[in-house]
Amino acid sequence: MDVNVVIGGPQGGGIETAGMLAVRTLVMAGLEVFGDREYHSNIKGKHSYFHIRAADRPVGSIRYPVDVLGALDAETLGTHFHEVKDGGVVVYDSALSSKSLTRIPSLDPIRVERLKEDLLERKIGETVEALSQYLGSRGTQVVPIPFSKLLSEVLKFPNPLIARTMNTSITAALLTLMGVQQEAISKAVGFLFREKEEVAELNLKVVEAVCDFVKSYVKREPVAVRRRTERRLLVAGNDSVAIGKLMGGLRLQTYYPITPAADESFDIEENFELRDSAGNIIGNPVVVQTEDEISAIAMAIGGALAGTRSATSTSGPGFSLMAEGLSWAGNNEVPVVITHYQRGGPSTGLPTRHSQSDLLFTIFAGHGEFARIVLASGDHREAMADAVKSLNYAERYQVPVIHLLDKGVANCVTTTTLEERFEITRGKRFDGVLKEGEVYRRFRFTDDGISPRAFLGEETMWYSGDEHNELGNICEDPLNRNRMYAKRMEKSRRIMEEAPDEDKALLHGPERYDDLILTWGITKGAAVDALESMGRLGRRVAVLQVRMMEPFPGSYISKFLSEAAQVIDVEANYLGQLAELVRLRCGMVVRNRVLKYTGRIVTEDEVASSYERILKGEERIVLWGGE
Amino acid sequence: MSSFEWSSGVWPDWCQGCGNFGIFTALRMALAEMGMDRKRVVLVSGIGCSGKIPHFVKATGVHALHGRSIPFATGIKIANPNLKVVVHGGDGDLLGIGMGHFVALGRRNPDILVMIHNNWVYGLTKGQASPTLGRGIRTKALAFPNINDPVNPILIGMASGYTFLARSYAYNAEHLKEVIKAGLSHRGAGAIEIIQPCPTWNNIVNMEWVAQNTQYLSGWDPVVASEDDLLKKMQEVMRLESMDKKQLGIIFENRFKETFEDRLASINGYYKDNPPARQRIEDEGSSLPVSMDKTFGRYMV
Repeated sequence: MDVNVVIGGPQGGGIETAGMLAVRTLVMAGLEVFGDREYHSNIKGKHSYFHIRAADRPVGSIRYPVDVLGALDAETLGTHFHEVKDGGVVVYDSALSSKSLTRIPSLDPIRVERLKEDLLERKIGETVEALSQYLGSRGTQVVPIPFSKLLSEVLKFPNPLIARTMNTSITAALLTLMGVQQEAISKAVGFLFREKEEVAELNLKVVEAVCDFVKSYVKREPVAVRRRTERRLLVAGNDSVAIGKLMGGLRLQTYYPITPAADESFDIEENFELRDSAGNIIGNPVVVQTEDEISAIAMAIGGALAGTRSATSTSGPGFSLMAEGLSWAGNNEVPVVITHYQRGGPSTGLPTRHSQSDLLFTIFAGHGEFARIVLASGDHREAMADAVKSLNYAERYQVPVIHLLDKGVANCVTTTTLEERFEITRGKRFDGVLKEGEVYRRFRFTDDGISPRAFLGEETMWYSGDEHNELGNICEDPLNRNRMYAKRMEKSRRIMEEAPDEDKALLHGPERYDDLILTWGITKGAAVDALESMGRLGRRVAVLQVRMMEPFPGSYISKFLSEAAQVIDVEANYLGQLAELVRLRCGMVVRNRVLKYTGRIVTEDEVASSYERILKGEERIVLWGGE
Repeated sequence: MSSFEWSSGVWPDWCQGCGNFGIFTALRMALAEMGMDRKRVVLVSGIGCSGKIPHFVKATGVHALHGRSIPFATGIKIANPNLKVVVHGGDGDLLGIGMGHFVALGRRNPDILVMIHNNWVYGLTKGQASPTLGRGIRTKALAFPNINDPVNPILIGMASGYTFLARSYAYNAEHLKEVIKAGLSHRGAGAIEIIQPCPTWNNIVNMEWVAQNTQYLSGWDPVVASEDDLLKKMQEVMRLESMDKKQLGIIFENRFKETFEDRLASINGYYKDNPPARQRIEDEGSSLPVSMDKTFGRYMV
């Protein structure tokens, strides 16, 4: 089983709840689920949708065409009907039937023009009714449901409440048409509204009424519920990182509100009490909403100097403001973590959309030269483990660490394995022993280049953004400058020597391959999911996912690349930034580049079809799938 | 302990006659007289001549970024409230590039004392006009008289919620020392505007100018008597600050407002005894034995 579903409607119309209801129902049925949330930078009215993929094997991406479309409004039908496969299912409120598809004020005029052309070409009239007939003629099962009539007859609700349960209604209908049992839907409803009894009751009645009505339309085999014994987490990437940070000992998180990072700070605040099995509080972080991102990085640095594992979480515009603080942290060897969720730039760009265009920025941001680590996670499980690793790396090497993620990971929801213990390494600490007449030197030269760290309050010490001597006092002596500069820079080499291979890059698929897909971040999921269909073309294909972007494991990566006949770079930006980085660090040119900068995540089918096109001789492919 | 024991031994590289020497002296005297524990004293500074002061004091120093000393200090204080955190910055640093943070500190009211080394100019970059320089004044490096109005640090501090506000004079180390001691004894966000002559770049504000344009407060009660008295006291401060002469002394003190540390403890009961820097985060190289059900139950399926 491998089913793709889109539920769409106006922002503020409960799409988020509808999507999470579908996701939770499918998870409860024992399936593997991956859900992508797409929304405008808007509070109410603009089109948003949830694309959910459910399969009986792990999935890390979405795929087009979709099997089922559930529409809360006419805009959703007009926008997404072309994505539904022939023979698929489309569910909507029958009250929409007479609505125009093109006279919709919230629809972008450019999109209206494109829709008109499409309708004309397919010889479809401009109403929902006409579209419905067209879809029916293609073998698609169209199910207009008279929700208003149905619900008011059966439940005698006053009308306003019917509108507010429309999201549950549509979701219950499409899940039923997929073959999901009512019991599973009701369970998920019970969970989602567990803190609002009245709302739960109302929604359960709605589910019952809708399932009753839709039953006679069901053409699919019932989805068998797989009982699973292992416990899993159902999380968005924001949640994953929050859990990882809390387990990793984070005790100070600073942030300034920005999409798509702010949810992580909310999560940390909401889960602020870490409890042991007896229910005792054993840890409790502080989350501070700062006046800007400059303050966010500065406060996190302050916390780190005091010996607290500290981090800030942001996106491109916020990270831009942090560049000076990052440089200070580099110069002062501060173990601070910046969690960076990329979104579409430049400037405000596509503030709620996906992008992988800050790779080079995070590697090179900050004036002057200093060692840093940039670690990029490719899925939710990695995001959690890497949040812990970032905190460990920061303290072990006394460097700023940028944990690089993207809106794809941040907002997509999926299940991940539950891990209960993580390794914690706090790095070299000052042991409090000083010889007669000796004073503590925060930046003492040592054989391994790492100075024993005392926390503020433990000793008297100095920090300075200026070049400094071992004590931390300003020093412009040329020889001290050379030594101190090298002390900081040489950390990169040491990190590269000591980092485990799995932190550098991961090879997915066969160990011996003809062609290699080079990718990173959430795009990895689409590439890995596409392995099966790419493999059918008669060549062995593998996926190399790069994780450590700085210091860059050049020789390790080169080894994989040199074994491939064709290397195909797939990422969500215009340049092919990873390919550019490979050129810089490995001296190898990756010509084949599959790129996407629409703000929508790369999908499995896009990777598969692009690979085929590359084999036929294309070099640069620009993708545009998804609404 | 004598004030000399609070010298780090690093040579202060300020110009001859610089007001910073007076501030340096008064600070060491205050720390010595109060018998502070040098390991617990953290001086956080910005960039400029004033920003160098932590290097010369034998206490922990964090010489931070231009304009950002306040958020550095706030992070330190939140993580470890047992530290005595003091901020040093110039008028350009704190009231120009760092004004947003200056206001934010008042809103939060953590137990941090800010010393504004006010010399009306950007000294280290050769004398440009700072936010406190009056309109129409032309200090020697300016091509034209200043066309911007000045800000009053005391009034901005009061509007922002600071609970201790004072003004003193760098060349009167005895007065400044007493004001610093009062500031360090106050619990909450404090700001001291220190009139600091810059003999190199500010040819207007010299000893004569200070003698003519300032006066020491006498018979003035800065303390807000009750919560109902706050508005009245603020109106009196407004009047005081609209006088021709700048008033020297403790101008405003409000002991009724909760500090940021109190506020954190009120929403997070664990904080008071276990601030971030004092929390254990590992168990023999492994993360703490956190119960996933009891902590992250809502994500479990």
